[in-house]
Amino acid sequence: MIRRSKLLFTVVSLAVVLAVMVAGCAAPAAPGPAPSAQEETAAQAPAGSEAASEAVNEILVGAIYPLSGSLAATGVDLKNAVELATDIVNNEYDLNLPLAKTAGLPNMGGAKIRLVLGDHEADPEKGAAEAERLINNEKVAALVGSYNSAVTATASQVAEREGVPFLNPESTSPTLTERGFQWFFRTTPYDKLFAENFFQFLDEMKAKGYDVSNVAILNENTLWGTDVATLENQYAEEYGYNVAANIPYEANAADVSSEVQKLKAAGEAVLLQASYVSDAILYMQTYKQLDYAPTAIIAMDAGFVASEFVETLGDDANYILSREVWALDLAESKPIIKAVNDMYKERYGTNMNGNSARAFTGMLVLADAINRAGSTDPAAIQAALMETDIPADQIIMPWKGIRFDPETHQNTLGSGIIVQILDGEYKTVWPFDLASAEIVWPFPKWSER
Amino acid sequence: MLRNRLPQLALVALVLFLLVFPTLFPEPFLLRTMILVLLWSVLGLAWNIIGGYAGQVSFGHAIFFGLGAYTSTLLLNNWGISPWLGMLGGALVAVIVSAIIGWPSFRLAGHYFAIATIAAGEIFAVLFRNLKWAGGAVGLYLPIVRGDRLVDFQFNESKAMYYYIVLGMLVATALVTYWIERTRMGYYLKAIREDPDAARSLGINVTRYKLYAMVISAALAAMAGTFYAQFVLYVSPKTVFPLALSIQMALVAILGGTGTLAGPIIGAAVLIPMAEYTRVYLAGRVGGLHLVVYGLLIVLISIYQPGGLMALLRNWQHRRRQRKLAQAAPVTAPAGGMGDGSV
Amino acid sequence: MSVETTLLVQTLVSGLLIGFVFALISVGLTLIFGVMDIVNFAHGEHLMLAMYFTYWLYTLWGVDPLYAVPVVAGLLFLLGVLTYRLVIRHVLDAPMLAQIFVTFGLMVFLRNLAQLLWSEDFRRIGDTLVTGRLELFGIFIGTPQLVASVGAALTTGALYWFLKNTRTGWALEATAENKEVAGLMGIDPERMFALAWGLALASVGVAGALLATFNPIFPEVGAVFVLVAYVAVALGGFGSVTGAFVAGIIIGVVQVMGGFLWEPRFKTILVYGIYLGIVFIRPQGLFGRR
Repeated sequence: MIRRSKLLFTVVSLAVVLAVMVAGCAAPAAPGPAPSAQEETAAQAPAGSEAASEAVNEILVGAIYPLSGSLAATGVDLKNAVELATDIVNNEYDLNLPLAKTAGLPNMGGAKIRLVLGDHEADPEKGAAEAERLINNEKVAALVGSYNSAVTATASQVAEREGVPFLNPESTSPTLTERGFQWFFRTTPYDKLFAENFFQFLDEMKAKGYDVSNVAILNENTLWGTDVATLENQYAEEYGYNVAANIPYEANAADVSSEVQKLKAAGEAVLLQASYVSDAILYMQTYKQLDYAPTAIIAMDAGFVASEFVETLGDDANYILSREVWALDLAESKPIIKAVNDMYKERYGTNMNGNSARAFTGMLVLADAINRAGSTDPAAIQAALMETDIPADQIIMPWKGIRFDPETHQNTLGSGIIVQILDGEYKTVWPFDLASAEIVWPFPKWSER
Repeated sequence: MLRNRLPQLALVALVLFLLVFPTLFPEPFLLRTMILVLLWSVLGLAWNIIGGYAGQVSFGHAIFFGLGAYTSTLLLNNWGISPWLGMLGGALVAVIVSAIIGWPSFRLAGHYFAIATIAAGEIFAVLFRNLKWAGGAVGLYLPIVRGDRLVDFQFNESKAMYYYIVLGMLVATALVTYWIERTRMGYYLKAIREDPDAARSLGINVTRYKLYAMVISAALAAMAGTFYAQFVLYVSPKTVFPLALSIQMALVAILGGTGTLAGPIIGAAVLIPMAEYTRVYLAGRVGGLHLVVYGLLIVLISIYQPGGLMALLRNWQHRRRQRKLAQAAPVTAPAGGMGDGSV
Repeated sequence: MSVETTLLVQTLVSGLLIGFVFALISVGLTLIFGVMDIVNFAHGEHLMLAMYFTYWLYTLWGVDPLYAVPVVAGLLFLLGVLTYRLVIRHVLDAPMLAQIFVTFGLMVFLRNLAQLLWSEDFRRIGDTLVTGRLELFGIFIGTPQLVASVGAALTTGALYWFLKNTRTGWALEATAENKEVAGLMGIDPERMFALAWGLALASVGVAGALLATFNPIFPEVGAVFVLVAYVAVALGGFGSVTGAFVAGIIIGVVQVMGGFLWEPRFKTILVYGIYLGIVFIRPQGLFGRR
């Protein structure tokens, strides 16, 4: 017993020491003052010595994204996009984009932006912790992120408490701009607009002679999905459509046969679905298996436009409609989209998508504001953001431009499109005047493919 | 002479160190980590009361933590009730719920009770995910209140006040644990843990004492929950009700040593910094590393030294003392208390 | 059949299909418990490992999951024996707290090891021999699910036959009944315990390999299934193989039908509610002996 205790003690202490060592020493580029062992004294001097050289050579911007965890694949897209945007700002490129033609920020003596990444693992608490770390330890001038509405909510709350600008390029939950926050800015149009788009679209389909009167609403029950469902219900009533079924489900499902059965029980309807990628794939597989083919499946983006979706499902992904914010075929009317996508594809091996396009755009907007502010002072950046006015031809989005509402800080010039997956590719089908392909309606039965 | 007083001196030094910590190390990340260490010490101690002293292993204690957080937040958001009162309210709710869950469950033997707590925990998580008036999956945000007044229980300028509050909670929890340990209740709980049937035959009302332990444990966990809500300003089923939280509560106590006062504190002091630093430095790529190590440690500890780090320490102290005695009197026969057989 | 009836029958069928798989997983759990009074809290993680092994066999060497079944079962059998020898053996006479913590620690260790090694990404096996679905009278049965059910039923049947009709099986049951007496009769409890673990994990191996054909694979996948297994073991009666089997099927049906008839998002509450109901009202379960 005595010997074993000694053995255990040794093992335990070794394990603990090892773990701490690994934790401490395996730190890659973790610049800044966070101590690797508890022996640090208060005498660390990070970039907190803003005193002397405010003649800044680099401007730190924090980017909080799901770099690991269930949304890692999406996180990679977002990170790449933000890095590409940073590179365009920092170096000279002949593109009609903000700050592209100069190296660095001209109003700050050519200072360059350096990104500091934070990983939120799709966990709101971690997002908040990362925001705190980036603001307090890394001393970033501003934050950009975070895709998941639930995480953006908590991370931006930290920013609000600390008085640091937070620019959100991709989260679409309406609540985010309804909190009365002063430091939060959002460039992407949001779910209220998109939900309404669905019904405008359905109205136009009705006008074309298709029979549409029922909708079924299926949503994952976290912040985003719940908000979407609420809006869809609201607009359904406003536009006069009957809601045949309302089915919230637990996200990250392992089995969805009950849910799909309920959908079948609801009868003929247009399915409006809000799911992240893993659920989206599972549902499609279950639809095929249980032979569920509604009049149409209109998805609220997210999982349905992630690259994994088509990769995993192949042909089974076809004929899905989704609201989107962006599509590659828009390049036909906007050449700058092709130019940027080519760059992206060359570096990262895939085309851009709605997520990367928005993250890219958001980063440029932030850089532009910092440049106009001419300093890393948060209040100056905030003021500059308020005055943002970027015209349509300088962004790769199908928007009329970027201008923030003075109260909510929401970009008022954004808009959405609807795409359909045809032959494994996303084609714009609505608005009809921007369409590059003819819509396939209704959703073909599984047996008929 | 001084050597005899070593443990007491160490304790005093530790207390002093804790008191001045925020002044010595105002760096936010470090302070935040320390606050978490203290918070988890409280949670570990709370768990310890029912899991360690009473021997009823619970993997559902997040229920009470979450109930505390939600109760105080709902009271604040809907009726403007001060979080301090909310804390008491949360404790009350936890007491009631723990009694309801606990009372029928106590007659279940160890494993079944443990599984029942898991089941109950999951039920609460699903419930709160779907209750609209409690925020549903979205959760509840606490309003940002500027001014850093103690009465608001919210401090945005500096985390130091949070630190002192949680330190106070730790001291209180430690005192409660100490009181339980030294009084009749502790004695009864020990008897119940060792052999419930024998205890019953001695006339101890097993169910009643388990219930006492349960509700005290729940109340403490709930108060920690309120603190957490005020610290993070956001509560959601995912952050306050998950199984992972229940697991970590048990982990902290098991690692440090169940059924001891210092155990959970040591457990928290080892586990939390590792978790935080692993996350920050290994930025998700090796995210679960600290838990892998802990899983392994739990297995090893359960096999070789179920008493955890505390027991290891005690053994080591004991052997040192024995060695000294042996050195001091080498001629005499080995002390019978060594347990090395008859001579 | 009317639409309502069809849907109802379809739901029932879906429930049965998954129920058989639940049953197989539960059988393993109850076997260990019956023989040595230990709850394997890491059971879900063993299932998860089986699923990952199947995935890697498929992805790295192109082995179809159907062929992987015996391989994975064998691997898990070895893992079971190893787990017993290295870990469980040391806590057989330890206080119950230690026994609980040891498999609990194993659970934490394995789950996070998987996350560390293979990341949180959900993985899926693509086309396999059993891809597709069948249609019978308007009821759709996914082929992978059908194969999984049949496989689970067969495996449980084989296990049951083994327990009731072979000397080793009798020895196992005798050890479960009373290990001292069994020891006196010449049965080596050590071997029996190791065997119990091996068989239990092997059945989980079969279940995992079959599940991998249609279920997403990720580090926490075991958690969902093991909770059902706990409930099934309790419902069926701790230690009863038949009980666990029947209970697993019942729970599968209740979960899917309950989700359909009531609300899908509450289907987990139903299952846990059953557990609590059982242990409070009829602790010995349906077929239990204690």
